[in-house]
Amino acid sequence: MTRVPMEGKVLNENEQVAAELRAEFARHGVFAVNLISSPGSGKTALLERTLESFAPGRRVAVLTGDIQTDADAARLAKYGFPVRQITTAGACHLDARMVRRALEGWDLATIDLLFIENVGNLVCPTSYDLGEAKKIVLLSVTEGEEKPLKYPGIFYKSELMVLTKTDLLPYVPFRPEVAIANARSIRPDIEVIQLSCQTKVGFGRWMEWVEAQVLSHA
Amino acid sequence: MHEMGIASSILEAVRTETAMHTPARARKVGVRLGEMAGIDANSLSFCFDALVKGTDLEPLELAIEPGSTDQLEFAWLELEEP
Repeated sequence: MTRVPMEGKVLNENEQVAAELRAEFARHGVFAVNLISSPGSGKTALLERTLESFAPGRRVAVLTGDIQTDADAARLAKYGFPVRQITTAGACHLDARMVRRALEGWDLATIDLLFIENVGNLVCPTSYDLGEAKKIVLLSVTEGEEKPLKYPGIFYKSELMVLTKTDLLPYVPFRPEVAIANARSIRPDIEVIQLSCQTKVGFGRWMEWVEAQVLSHA
Repeated sequence: MHEMGIASSILEAVRTETAMHTPARARKVGVRLGEMAGIDANSLSFCFDALVKGTDLEPLELAIEPGSTDQLEFAWLELEEP
């Protein structure tokens, strides 16, 4: 028996497509962001409020991933910006090939900001680079404070944690400071924004974050 | 459950690597897996064994070694000369 060294990433093919996408996004000055959370944490709601706040003509587009249905694309298309649904037909995450296929026919030169809403899942999307500039993880206050510890991978890879549904804080035992401390025990420099898509408290900070990112990737 | 896709990627790479060492056969592949990679080692082993079973790669084994943070990389391949 001989042992030979073997090099390379296991998901080498995905990494290659993701690197090509990243280069394309950079060439056209597109800020691409990958939104990841459990099902029901409010990814689509956050995007609805975000699109709603943009002036017509804003150069924004959305890819939204789900296992089945185009319900999210229908929700998001109302705001008049380009939206495409990626239906994974069973796959629990988006991969770089799906994103590349979904972008076909779109002129990236006309887009400054691309939201990629991943399939609701805190585990599988962690492993698949989509060529995004940043990953964002959403955690709603109706989930557990310990989620960052249970699903460390995604909190480790995300630069921003958005705590959603904060209008429900009076009714649930969730302590934001504990959740934040847990997230920072995994990734000390993770940024945190707390907001409610119902009352819009904290929403301004989210929009400031988005605009700053768009500017720095232009 | 994305471990099936990952196991399938490992097998594909093993086939490619083994082809470069013909006529040797691959017996065991070593992969480094970090704690932050979002992959369950037991689940990956289960999927790997399920995919190998009944194919020409049998009895190929998977060895998972601890890796750094989100590492998911190949380490080595054990080959058996005919």
